Amino acid sequence: MATNSQSRGFQLQDALFIGFCATLLVALKSMLRLRLGLSGHSMLLMSFFYLTCYCTVARVGAITACGAMAGAVAAILGVGKGGPILLVKFLAPAIAMELTLLLVQNLLTLRWRLIVVAVAGAIVWSAKGLLEDLLVGMSWQVASVRFAAKVGSGGVFATIGALLVIPVVRRLKAHDLLYRDSKIDQEL
Amino acid sequence: MRLIELDGVNFNYGSGQPWIFRDLDFRLESGSCHCITGPTGSGKSTLLQLIAGLLSRPFEGGVFRRQGLLTGLVMQDPQVQLLRQTVGAEVAFALENLALATEQMIPMVQRALRRVGLFVSLDCPISNLSLGQKYRLMMAAQLVCNPTVLLLDEPWAQLDDRGVEELIMVIRGLVADGIAVVISEHNPRSFDGLVDHFWQLADGQLKPGIYRTQHAIPLKAMSCGDEVIVDTDSFDYRFVGDSPLFSCEQPLQVRRGELVTLIGDNGAGKSSLMKSLAGIQSNTVALPIRVFGERPKAGAYGARLGLLMQRPVRQLFENSVLDEISFSLKRFELPLENAAALLQDLGLEAFAKQSPHKLSYGQQHLVALASLVCYQPQLLLLDDPMAGLDAEYFDRFCLMVNRLRERGTAVIVSSHRPLRQLPVSQQWDIADGMLTVSYALEEAYYAS
Amino acid sequence: MPVSHFSRSQATPISSRSLWFAGTAMVLALLLSSAAFFVPQVYLPWLAGIDALLVLHGVINKGNLGGLLRYILLQLLFTMVLYLAIHGGNQVGQGVMAVARILLALLPGWWLTSTVSAEAIGELLSKVMPSKWAFVIVASINLLPFMVNEAREIYQLQLLRGARISPKQLLNPRNWSELCYCVLFPLLVQLLKLAQQTATAARARHFGHKSRRTHWRPGQSENGNK
Repeated sequence: MATNSQSRGFQLQDALFIGFCATLLVALKSMLRLRLGLSGHSMLLMSFFYLTCYCTVARVGAITACGAMAGAVAAILGVGKGGPILLVKFLAPAIAMELTLLLVQNLLTLRWRLIVVAVAGAIVWSAKGLLEDLLVGMSWQVASVRFAAKVGSGGVFATIGALLVIPVVRRLKAHDLLYRDSKIDQEL
Repeated sequence: MRLIELDGVNFNYGSGQPWIFRDLDFRLESGSCHCITGPTGSGKSTLLQLIAGLLSRPFEGGVFRRQGLLTGLVMQDPQVQLLRQTVGAEVAFALENLALATEQMIPMVQRALRRVGLFVSLDCPISNLSLGQKYRLMMAAQLVCNPTVLLLDEPWAQLDDRGVEELIMVIRGLVADGIAVVISEHNPRSFDGLVDHFWQLADGQLKPGIYRTQHAIPLKAMSCGDEVIVDTDSFDYRFVGDSPLFSCEQPLQVRRGELVTLIGDNGAGKSSLMKSLAGIQSNTVALPIRVFGERPKAGAYGARLGLLMQRPVRQLFENSVLDEISFSLKRFELPLENAAALLQDLGLEAFAKQSPHKLSYGQQHLVALASLVCYQPQLLLLDDPMAGLDAEYFDRFCLMVNRLRERGTAVIVSSHRPLRQLPVSQQWDIADGMLTVSYALEEAYYAS
Repeated sequence: MPVSHFSRSQATPISSRSLWFAGTAMVLALLLSSAAFFVPQVYLPWLAGIDALLVLHGVINKGNLGGLLRYILLQLLFTMVLYLAIHGGNQVGQGVMAVARILLALLPGWWLTSTVSAEAIGELLSKVMPSKWAFVIVASINLLPFMVNEAREIYQLQLLRGARISPKQLLNPRNWSELCYCVLFPLLVQLLKLAQQTATAARARHFGHKSRRTHWRPGQSENGNK
């Protein structure tokens, strides 16, 4: 059965792990609303959990799956603002990270690769905000200042999230808690 | 009728890992009841998964399985097995997976629930069930597919005594219907009279008989000091916005060197009270509890207090066993030699450099406890510390507790079953919403 | 924060009527939210009127607008500051209008969550998703109170063991690695184990045998097992 499901998609165990990460992401986000006027803290959680999924499940599609799950779970739990739009909010950065990852797959060291991917996620996350701002009729000057602020704070938070991933996953590997021999495994 | 036969099975978790099964043989006939005993971490759960055909890793050896044989496995953790909100949906889960038509489901679900003697509405929320009822619900969720083999993984530890009695009644009925039952258990005596064959799993093989270890080190009776460590006024233990969980009408007091047991059913509030003593239980009403003369606050006591929660293996994180035990010593700036000495006393020095995640469950449990014992807290809170441990580990547990108390540590131990023959100085019982204290046990102990 | 915040309160069976309502509400919320971005200015009062009705309905259903309003006020403040700094006082109206549109885009979502039950949305999503992922969502949400509790307890355990992770100590970035090793790592270990066990438990009940699953319809009360 294991080999069978391998060819069709994620193993159930991996799918569950992705689901748990997504659910915790949504729950923690709603609990840790840092009301400091700092937007972008959600990028920290997003980049940490998305990249953890990438490093543990080690398959193309893990990040996108995690983003889709997070959007769905957020819609079900009614966490955050925006109902159906939530799906885009979680999924768009995930897809951006997945695509960037495919581009830089064989470049850079693992650490830099994760940072680049996380920042790409932050940019797309901010771009979604920029698009909204322009659609609701803000002047482009104001919208671009807001965009820059988001890219700045989102980028910093996303990088922190990415940097937290490596020691954690490396330790999982050191304790033999990851039973895999993919390429990323050898890099850890 | 032969249902399953294992012939010379070898199994381990990856090359270079120790063997879990080495040339293991086992034969299962319909209508028989087997009980598999063995030390903690010997592979009992893995064996049940092998019999159920759920082992996801490859193994060597012959497995005969009767054509069309269905097995049901009730695992240890109810958390991962109760997947739905209502009783009916829970039992129907397997039928959904087998793609049965919706109208066929209700009679099958009802029949399965009757078989385990669970007479509740199909819409009954699972959260309303008692521990024993939840266990039988998990059995019904397996029996609904009419398996010919039912495997139960350590039921005793998950149940109270009444739950065990109800379970035995149900198993008798199933065996009479021709179902083969295999129980893994480290407390096999509770199933005497029901089981036809007892096995012990040791060194990768099954041999007839019951696994036993000698329990050699008793907990010592000791006199207590005068210094008061914990004291309370009478109080109602209550979460904000809830009715009281239990009331305590007399003041409690724990002095230096005392050994106190806290006994109560699951859900009675033992763990919460322990956490309140450590200052980490939030959303309770203000309680008149003083520990070291202050109101408990998370992290305020530093090295003076230690708390071992249930399933302590989840606190392990360091690279080696020695680092794990020294962690608190480093943080509290205490001499690091304590750690190595303690490991030696526990007979774990060979593992000092190993990853704690590669130890057996029982060893991990000991390491977690040792990581608290080594900094010699003046108050040690142990929440159900014996769960899942056999006598071999119990000895080393006693060794550590004795040693701490000699140096004046007060120890509070909680348990969901009465702990007999412990030289406790007082016992706190939570039952019917009341916490009562008895001191008589101590005198009785000295008298004997 | 009490864990029960996330646990689904009561398991009430979902009738097909409420499922229809949920589906319609979801499409409506999506349309209204998008409309807030695209509708020409002259129609905005109409949109605001419809949203006002939704708000009324939501408030009757005991929805709480507080968080949303706080968010909008913050947005308004931030945008106004930018407008004043960049354009001086003359385009403030444009900024207010923009934030008003954002509010109109968020209100339908708020209405959806305060009037449609989580179960209905879940059931709806599970109809359009592959069955494996639908199961993953149900299992994750069921286990959420457990996972949150696990995260909290691991944090507390390590705090008591002397780890430098109290809120005050975490203001210092040098202590973040401690949080990483002591809390995040053991938490992920537990999540991996939990995923493995849940998968085994589901397979023990024949999950994944058939590519299409059927669904249990909660019986009416006369089907009780008395």
